[in-house]
Amino acid sequence: MKPFFSLLKISLDSNFGISALKFRFTREKKKLWEPMLIIFSIILGLGSILALYSLLLTGVFAAGKSIGHPDVILILSFVFTQFIILFFGAFYVMGAFYFSKDFGILVPLPLKPYEVLGTKFLTVMCNEYITALPLMLPPILIYGIGMGQGFLYWVKGILLTLAVPSIPLAVGSLFVITLMRFVNLRRSKDLLAIVGGTLGLILAVSINILVQGLPKGNEADFLKNLLQSRTGLIDEIGRKFPPAIWATIGLSDPGASGWLNFLLFIAVSVLLFAFFLWLGNLIFYKGLLAGQETSSGKAGRISRKAAEIFGDETAAMTANSPVKALFIKEWRLLMRTPIYFLNGFMGNIIGPIIVIILFVVQRQSSSDTVQILQFIKDPSLIKYVTLGGLGFILFVAGMNTAASTTLSREGSTFWISKLIPVSAENQVLAKFFHGFAISSVGIVVTVAIMAIFIKLEMLRVAVVFVLGLVGAVSLVCVNMLFDVFHPKLIWTNPQEAIKQNMNALLGMAASLILVAFFAAATVALILLGASELLTYCGLAVIMGVAGAVSLKCLMIMASRKYRSLEA
Amino acid sequence: MFDINETWWGDQRLINIAGVSKSYNKGSVKAVDNLNLHIGPGEIFGFLGPNGAGKTTTIKMMVGLLNPDCGRISIKGFDIAENPLEAKRQLGYVPDNPDVYERLTGLEYLNFLGDVYNVPGKLRKDRMSELLDMFELKNAAPDLIKSYSHGMKQKIVLIGALLHDPSVWILDEPMVGLDPRSSHLLKEYMRSHCDKGNSVFFSTHILEVAEKLCDRIGIIHHGKLIAIGTLEQLRQGEAAESLENIFLELTEK
Repeated sequence: MKPFFSLLKISLDSNFGISALKFRFTREKKKLWEPMLIIFSIILGLGSILALYSLLLTGVFAAGKSIGHPDVILILSFVFTQFIILFFGAFYVMGAFYFSKDFGILVPLPLKPYEVLGTKFLTVMCNEYITALPLMLPPILIYGIGMGQGFLYWVKGILLTLAVPSIPLAVGSLFVITLMRFVNLRRSKDLLAIVGGTLGLILAVSINILVQGLPKGNEADFLKNLLQSRTGLIDEIGRKFPPAIWATIGLSDPGASGWLNFLLFIAVSVLLFAFFLWLGNLIFYKGLLAGQETSSGKAGRISRKAAEIFGDETAAMTANSPVKALFIKEWRLLMRTPIYFLNGFMGNIIGPIIVIILFVVQRQSSSDTVQILQFIKDPSLIKYVTLGGLGFILFVAGMNTAASTTLSREGSTFWISKLIPVSAENQVLAKFFHGFAISSVGIVVTVAIMAIFIKLEMLRVAVVFVLGLVGAVSLVCVNMLFDVFHPKLIWTNPQEAIKQNMNALLGMAASLILVAFFAAATVALILLGASELLTYCGLAVIMGVAGAVSLKCLMIMASRKYRSLEA
Repeated sequence: MFDINETWWGDQRLINIAGVSKSYNKGSVKAVDNLNLHIGPGEIFGFLGPNGAGKTTTIKMMVGLLNPDCGRISIKGFDIAENPLEAKRQLGYVPDNPDVYERLTGLEYLNFLGDVYNVPGKLRKDRMSELLDMFELKNAAPDLIKSYSHGMKQKIVLIGALLHDPSVWILDEPMVGLDPRSSHLLKEYMRSHCDKGNSVFFSTHILEVAEKLCDRIGIIHHGKLIAIGTLEQLRQGEAAESLENIFLELTEK
């Protein structure tokens, strides 16, 4: 077991950058303010979200208690947390098990596949605590304090919270390693990752629709019935996901039944983990190693493909300007790396697509949609509808992780950017064009939806489109600013560059603030009595100035940072 | 210690390193300590030293990947700190580890470099064709770099570094990972490049290569240049002494 624990220690160390942090705190004290600023932002951001979440939970607890079923809060939290972990965990697992760079070191070591797999699993599980703890601790605290629970409740609460990711993650991992065993080509793995990711997004949308669609207008009755009959509720969820019931009874019932359910939950968690290790030991390496063999170009006869390119001696290669070449490189790398494609590209167009699906589904049954359509066709309100649409477009344009992780994604290839004879300004300009192109795709999709479904007139569509593009300039710039200022260049798995990158969150937060500022400016213009045309023009000027200023800031930052960053 | 200015080219230096130092961990680890080095036209310079002596740090400062704490480095008269773009155009660099854009094909990678170094279309194709042929990579060029072996990646980086025909080559352990044939070709190519009045600066652990190929050799130890000169000068008259013995004696402590 000793090698297993050493491997786990190393894996956790590199995953959370513990040694790097230690180094930072003990050796590079001058730069301490950078991580401090990041930690402060996280506390601030997470704190406000947690406060809102706790407020909502207190409401659920009070409602549950008033009808005599206070443990509703626990069931809902266990179901929600485990579902979230199942969904996102499957992606983490895919990245950590099959796209991680360190397998080149791990596979030749004298370790059993289950040891490697076990450490990977536990590392992912530790990552999941970042999701699980903020989701689980508030409800356990609210219920525990509200019901005046004793010492054993808190012990069980802590143990259950720690065990929570195990079942969904084991289920997700079993699914992933079984699937990967039968798809044995690297290229297919890329394709699979994209198809899987897209399916995941569709699943998320479907759940959204289901949640919105099921009660059909009598949500209050539905919830009341559900809450009023405790057994009804437990049966309902229990049939679909029994572990949440075991955990809830295990935690809320201090008697023998509680202990039995508690032990059942822990036992199933451990058994599933053990089964996963057993199966993984049999099939994991086969799936991992399949298709890694490389075919070198055979010497002697020249391949047809190469002959086509080099055959005509008089023909020249197409030469591009450096900025265009950098843009094309950025585009290709984003589109060809599944995890970047899903998060950086698909993420940007999926928002508008959710709107389409919701619209199409709800249109069939709900009278709300008809009312909304009548409301937005009202001539006196059309200005607000247009501006609201613009707000949505700017929101979509601001959620741009391609821009907010632009430098981080270079990782160990950053030396090429430092080496090439292209100025930092031009390099960042190419990255800006790339981020802007991604935002533009989102804008085009959203505007198209508005034109088709809201049937907004063409002139207004054009106004929204142009204003959207003008606004996107500053949004893309603020997204990029954080990443150029403090890129995360050291990572072993591309997932770390885009999904576990604080700059993506900071970029989104900054975009939201900027969109709020544009909204405030719009309200001010309307309150000052500006006509519709004047409002649009005023907004164009404000967003144009913001764009120019932020682009200038980005360029100044780029020239300073590229010089000081070392590769 | 040899006089580093004992050379015939005077001020025609292609690489000029003057008083360069670099330390890590707030000065506690001195990676390179007051390094002075000049490389002239037509010269193949071998840079030797034990692991961790400061070879890669020196090379990374020469090509602009690391910023020196003090001192100046110029390539063909262009200061790497003051005129980085012009200095970078004069050099071709191969790192010790071929980390390249794995999701580009070999051709796309080379074309990207051709674009950023402003290599005209026709010339680019001819050079690409010649270099790919030379290193037997033409058939693999349309494939993703991700599918290449370590040696193939090393070759594509090498081809990329030479595509714009720089006069100064700076190579960090270029033979590592190359098959004997490619390694031989590279050595011949280095010689013919320098015969045209250009220069090559490379680090290596293979003393035999340094012995046979280099016009001058520098040995760095604990960040300091402890010896520099032709093989004859390093031998200090003892003609039979091998470079290996000289190296071992000099880097004993």
